[in-house]
Amino acid sequence: MASNRKNAHRARPVSRRRFLEDAGSVAALGAATTALGPFAQPAMAQTDLRKQILGIPGVDKGSPTDADWQKVGELCLGPTKANVTAGEFKGVELTFMGLNNQNLHNLLFRGFLKPWETYTGAKISWIDLAQADYNPRLQQAIATGTVDFDVLEMGAPFEGDVCGKGLASEMPDWVKKQVEIDDYVDYLKPPVGTWNGKTYRVTIDGDCHNFNYRTDVFSDPALAKAWKAAGNTSEWAVPKTWQQVQAATKFLKGRKIGGKDAWGYLDAPKPWGGFGFYFLGSRATAYAKHPDDKAWLFDVDTMKPRINNPAWIRAIQDVVDALPAEPPDQLNADPGTAGFQQFLAGTGSMLSWWGDIGSVARTSDASVVGKIIAFDILPGSDDVYNARTGAWEKLASGPNYAPNCAYLGWGMYVMARVDGDAKKHKAAWSAAAHLGGKDLSLWTVMYPSGFQVHRTSHSNVDEWVDAGYSRDYISSYLNSQFGSYNHPNRAVEPRIPGIFQYYSVAEDELAKVFAGRLDAKTGADNIAKAWEGITDRLGRANQIALYKASLGA
Amino acid sequence: MASTELSSPLAGERQLPMTPRRASPGRRNAGRWLIGASSCAFGLVVLAQALRGAGIIEFGFDDWRPTLYAYVLWGIALGCGLVMTKGERGHQLLFLLPALLFTVAVVIFPTFFGLYIAFTDWNLSSVSGRQFNGLDNIRTLMRDAFFWNALGNMVWYVLAVLVQYAIAFALALLLNAEIRARKFFRVAFLLPFMLSPVAVSWMIGKSIMEYRFGPAATLARLVGWDSPAFFASPWLARSSIMAMDAWVSIPFIMILLLAGLQALPHEVAEAAKVDGASPWQTFWKITFPLMLPVSVTAVILRIIFELKLADIVINVTAGGPGGATDTVSSFIYREYRDRSNVGYGTMLAEFYLVIIIVFVTGLLALANRWMRRFT
Repeated sequence: MASNRKNAHRARPVSRRRFLEDAGSVAALGAATTALGPFAQPAMAQTDLRKQILGIPGVDKGSPTDADWQKVGELCLGPTKANVTAGEFKGVELTFMGLNNQNLHNLLFRGFLKPWETYTGAKISWIDLAQADYNPRLQQAIATGTVDFDVLEMGAPFEGDVCGKGLASEMPDWVKKQVEIDDYVDYLKPPVGTWNGKTYRVTIDGDCHNFNYRTDVFSDPALAKAWKAAGNTSEWAVPKTWQQVQAATKFLKGRKIGGKDAWGYLDAPKPWGGFGFYFLGSRATAYAKHPDDKAWLFDVDTMKPRINNPAWIRAIQDVVDALPAEPPDQLNADPGTAGFQQFLAGTGSMLSWWGDIGSVARTSDASVVGKIIAFDILPGSDDVYNARTGAWEKLASGPNYAPNCAYLGWGMYVMARVDGDAKKHKAAWSAAAHLGGKDLSLWTVMYPSGFQVHRTSHSNVDEWVDAGYSRDYISSYLNSQFGSYNHPNRAVEPRIPGIFQYYSVAEDELAKVFAGRLDAKTGADNIAKAWEGITDRLGRANQIALYKASLGA
Repeated sequence: MASTELSSPLAGERQLPMTPRRASPGRRNAGRWLIGASSCAFGLVVLAQALRGAGIIEFGFDDWRPTLYAYVLWGIALGCGLVMTKGERGHQLLFLLPALLFTVAVVIFPTFFGLYIAFTDWNLSSVSGRQFNGLDNIRTLMRDAFFWNALGNMVWYVLAVLVQYAIAFALALLLNAEIRARKFFRVAFLLPFMLSPVAVSWMIGKSIMEYRFGPAATLARLVGWDSPAFFASPWLARSSIMAMDAWVSIPFIMILLLAGLQALPHEVAEAAKVDGASPWQTFWKITFPLMLPVSVTAVILRIIFELKLADIVINVTAGGPGGATDTVSSFIYREYRDRSNVGYGTMLAEFYLVIIIVFVTGLLALANRWMRRFT
């Protein structure tokens, strides 16, 4: 079968996708060999179970189906059976609220939990929400006191809204053991998932922005020659700092690669329901997140916004300066457009995004860059702003890197309303623990699920290679992910109530700046003013307390 | 005692029993008692729930659903009571009562409750919940550059309705003429109106007009436009949104005008032709004035729809670039959905409602005066 597919591929006329793939494949092999560094563990002995589930249905064997999800759920029932007797939850009815993005999330959970329901006797009813409806639905339920679900799929940024208001149930110790909570990567360990010292979340996802780049562009001899001819003293190479990203982006305007326009970095200036702010954040963290300071968005003691300090203004100005060198319609590109319609389709050579790009580049028919991209942590900066001293500093260690751990991934939460019913309480936590099980999580991060690596055990490259991934590609990808998660200067998002309100307001002001209606300083001042208003409206004292708790400060 | 027999032109024939025109005193008293008792009971339920909601008393239900049931029961009791007290007149009122109670429940009450919400600081993420904040939301609105920017954009969008009207009139004249495949064109021209604006947003705004692969962009490049980015500069983005909106909406105006044209008496136009009037004179001196009532109706309806423009903007530009395409409705949508700002969002909606009412009322008065002068 494999050879048939290969021959069929050869028989095809040269398409843009094939041209790009072939042109960059050699370069990709060379450039994607970034060592996994401290995370390249010796091959961990794979259990039979892990091998078995990773073969369902098998990489390159089409998308998994509901039958596959049920099979995986059935095979991963072992930890549940150790804590729950058969039929123990008979008569218990649970309501589960989660997403149905891209036919993933809840649809997978249904399959995974079907054998759990059969074994335990519990019954689950489902509330499926589109991403856009999720936040309003959750906020309405909280504000109107109509929490009508027992188990909730939720992102850590909302922990302030839910755990901070006492709406979540504290995780029992047996669940911590069942999900092997110590296996979580460092940045997803407390304070993430906890509130006031209590643990609430079963983590099922990890999120950070990494740097995706085109290997063919940065290994192209013609571009290297032109780079030198343009008077640059450095070598033509993958940018490691935002200063280099800016220079490469401006240089690439008007250049060609394989007869096509070779654009540089792709910004995402169009508002995206608050999520677009993360993309400015990725440009700003290297400037704004000082290694000696946990905070980078607000001052810890006052919640005074830092968005209008010189570091953030510089990041905003970088976007303004880069936009004229980006594709002509970039002003109307949101992150989805930049990632999926541009970068994966062959437009642009550098992009900050969540790990989805790497996991989709080789599995989506829409992608033409699967063999010509590689990954790294976000670029750094030659200097970093110290908000405490109010001065720019050059670190003795070199450029400042501060990966943007944006959104902190999805998790399972059990609502406090089950606390009064011991049987229901155990059933709800058992369901959450099943979905967040160690072995099951390996399957979800390897196959289409909407979730990315979030456990140390996910860094075992051999398991990925055995499942069908190429070693170079997956090493580069995992290195960028774990390198971000475990970076000592990672910028972790504050988990405070209403965080998306701050982002949404910022998006509106930034849109004016990017369109040239305001300068960067005025726009940043406007955002700061609006943020102060939001903090006052939500209760400053409370926000400060929750901000401190979320930072562990 | 007044007779309870009814005179009927069908006297002598078998008749259905009818309610007496006037009820007996006992029946009237029972009816009054029923209305009074049910009203008191309903009032007590509302009062108890309101006091519980305000945290003044402990007694009450967990939510307002029982109050809704009480409202329905009160409505039934009110209907019975009216029949008992007013006889046949009560029966007549029964036809009106359900619609009246339904309107009160879903239009009048929400409007007034919305007014109350508009004067509160209610952010869904706030730990303090909903709090009355007087005129703060109005003050914020007056200083809100985003609202006034969106309102300014609405002026342009409303002016674009006149262009839509002109095009729609031309199309209506065309479809009213004796042309081949007239029926086909009538249906074909109506198709855009049948499409959801959300579908149009994706099919046209995000596909056909897409910079990289969109056919419109490809065509533009063929005719010499190097960078056909339809949504990257303020005026072009606004014009592109107007064009998409026009594509959806012109058929609506066109179909109204076509109906008007078909109702015009042919004799007048034929008489003008016999008198030697040119086609332009026939149109300008006869057709256009006769069509004024239909035209005014069509334009005002379109303006009302236009003032609520949101879906295409939200999907295609999210109000950008830099607020150039933002509408008041899309701005309110962001306040509600992205920022959970229920209090301020409601104030925006109520304020905009007042603006629309004043504007449309003024427009109607002007149109009436103008039509009287013209006709």
